[in-house]
Amino acid sequence: MIEFRSVARCFVQGRGRSARRVQAVDGLSWVAADGCISGLLGPNGAGKTTLLRMAAALLEPDAGQVRVDGLDVATQREAALARVGVLGDARGLYPRLTARENIVYHARLQGLSEEAAQARTDSVARMLQMQPLLERRTEGFSQGERMKTALARALVHDPHNIVLDEPTNGLDVPATRALRDTLRMLRDEHGKCIVFSTHLMQEVERLCDQVLVMARGRAVAQGTVGELCAQSGETDFERCFVRLAFGEAAA
Amino acid sequence: MSPAKPPPPKARRRGGAVFIVLRKELLDALRDRRTLLTLLLSSVAVGPLVLWLLSTMVAGIEERAERREVMVAGIEHAPSLRNYLQRQTYVVRAAPADYEAQLRSRRLGDPVLVVEPAFEADLLRGEPPLVQLVFSSANTRAAAGASRLAALMQGFNQEQALLRLAWRGVAPSALQAVQVDERDLASPAARAAQWTMLLPFFVLMAVLYGALHAALDATAGERERGSLEPLLMNPVPTWAIVLGKWAAVSAVAMLIALLSCASFLPGQWLLRSESLAALFRFGLREGALFLALLLPLAGALSALLMALAIRSRSVKEAQAGAAALALLVSLLPMLSLFGQEGEARWHLAVPALAQITLMGRVLKAEAMSPLELALPLGVCVLMCVACLGYVAHRLRRAALA
Repeated sequence: MIEFRSVARCFVQGRGRSARRVQAVDGLSWVAADGCISGLLGPNGAGKTTLLRMAAALLEPDAGQVRVDGLDVATQREAALARVGVLGDARGLYPRLTARENIVYHARLQGLSEEAAQARTDSVARMLQMQPLLERRTEGFSQGERMKTALARALVHDPHNIVLDEPTNGLDVPATRALRDTLRMLRDEHGKCIVFSTHLMQEVERLCDQVLVMARGRAVAQGTVGELCAQSGETDFERCFVRLAFGEAAA
Repeated sequence: MSPAKPPPPKARRRGGAVFIVLRKELLDALRDRRTLLTLLLSSVAVGPLVLWLLSTMVAGIEERAERREVMVAGIEHAPSLRNYLQRQTYVVRAAPADYEAQLRSRRLGDPVLVVEPAFEADLLRGEPPLVQLVFSSANTRAAAGASRLAALMQGFNQEQALLRLAWRGVAPSALQAVQVDERDLASPAARAAQWTMLLPFFVLMAVLYGALHAALDATAGERERGSLEPLLMNPVPTWAIVLGKWAAVSAVAMLIALLSCASFLPGQWLLRSESLAALFRFGLREGALFLALLLPLAGALSALLMALAIRSRSVKEAQAGAAALALLVSLLPMLSLFGQEGEARWHLAVPALAQITLMGRVLKAEAMSPLELALPLGVCVLMCVACLGYVAHRLRRAALA
């Protein structure tokens, strides 16, 4: 479970006189529950990535608190991080290492022993159907292969909470479908708490049990897809989203 | 798919993370075979190469001294001078017509004596004839022979004077109011060090370039690839990651230091000049002292390069900063070269300059006090701590930018 309790974070862009304060996240409260796929939906610049980075302890909130399974990310950073697997914005791999070495490196940093790290790497690779990739150097991997390796790296310590920032970016249709199946399986068989951000309506409709719509750093609506449609009085989810995120005028 | 497992045990020691990062960075560096091979080969080659070049030059100068030849223009006007030179077992050779041009363009490696047509007549009349000693101080080989030739002419002068005095019945000792005796204070090692002062500089540059690639790859490279952000999302303290990376970079730099110092040991066999070979003493003791000076510096330079590079978004950007540092380090020896006051105390407090100075003293076989060894070490440790602290401070911000 990941809880955001009235978190706020602002950035200062530029320097000196031209400096501009941008309130990326503005007093947002939200709970991503266990056994549930929660979607984070919002236009570009809504603050999705900032919010997820706060859950990954990369950014500290100016105000409010982020809790992972009840652990405060700010004060119990390492304990909290051990319970989250994050596939962030940056998915860089080490090109001179094989996919296995990339994944095992992170497993070892997560505290797994060498044997456990190897075993988990194999089982995650099986789950993501990427065994043939394991012994290859990641130099020259396709977008989909990189994405699978990065996802395996994020899941290798079997975290209870999984945070994915636009995971389907650059994936083809079969890869996207495979990812969806994997996420459903993780939810249904393991009761994981999965949070993922996207700007694709279709993804949200097909996958998410819960949706948070963000705009200008604030939560503008939350609920199931059906509830949101009912709330906005639209039958089409895309129209519903536009109305919620950009206001009546845009719809 | 494995069944749901409890979260893995978190009982890992924090020091373990340093080791994991170190192992991965070393593996990564080892995989970059071409870069590593170039670095290692050049660091191994630098010692023997410099020694060989130096010894070729010194051997050339020695050979000229041993050849006992004098270049004279117009020797036909001076039979008495020819007679004197031949008695000193010198072979007199006629200078080429365009000796001035040849000396300027360094094609001619010997100074030239120019004798005027009226030489013999002037000498008989008791008027001092003019003899020109032509050389170019920009032509090292010819300049080295000039003082020898001047001494030779001094001998001729003295002989003529003695003959004239003896003819007038004056004791030769009247000519010598003061007896001058030369005493050279330089020990054999110090004399050789004149030539070998370049060596510490080359070793130091090899270490700097050894650390450069690894340091940039571990910081700016990690940023450029976008692998820094995922790395920081592991439950590991930032300092452990920084320490692991630094240990890997330093290990590469120290390996280069070790190899380039070790390369001097067999490198001595290449010495062509026998006197230089006798003077250049680089044994295990000198090698160990070199290493004792270089290893802390390798660590400090690694930390400094990492601190410079962590500010850059890409390796290319970081290379500009690193090139500036390399230039600065390569200018440092000039301080002691051009400095009028010679070696100043504060030189020992400047990293790189201190090591060059002290390595020079090792070659000259001069004594060093423990304080003089401890000061550069202390400066290196301080530099390491400050730079690594800065890297740890910047790392998380760097991951996001």
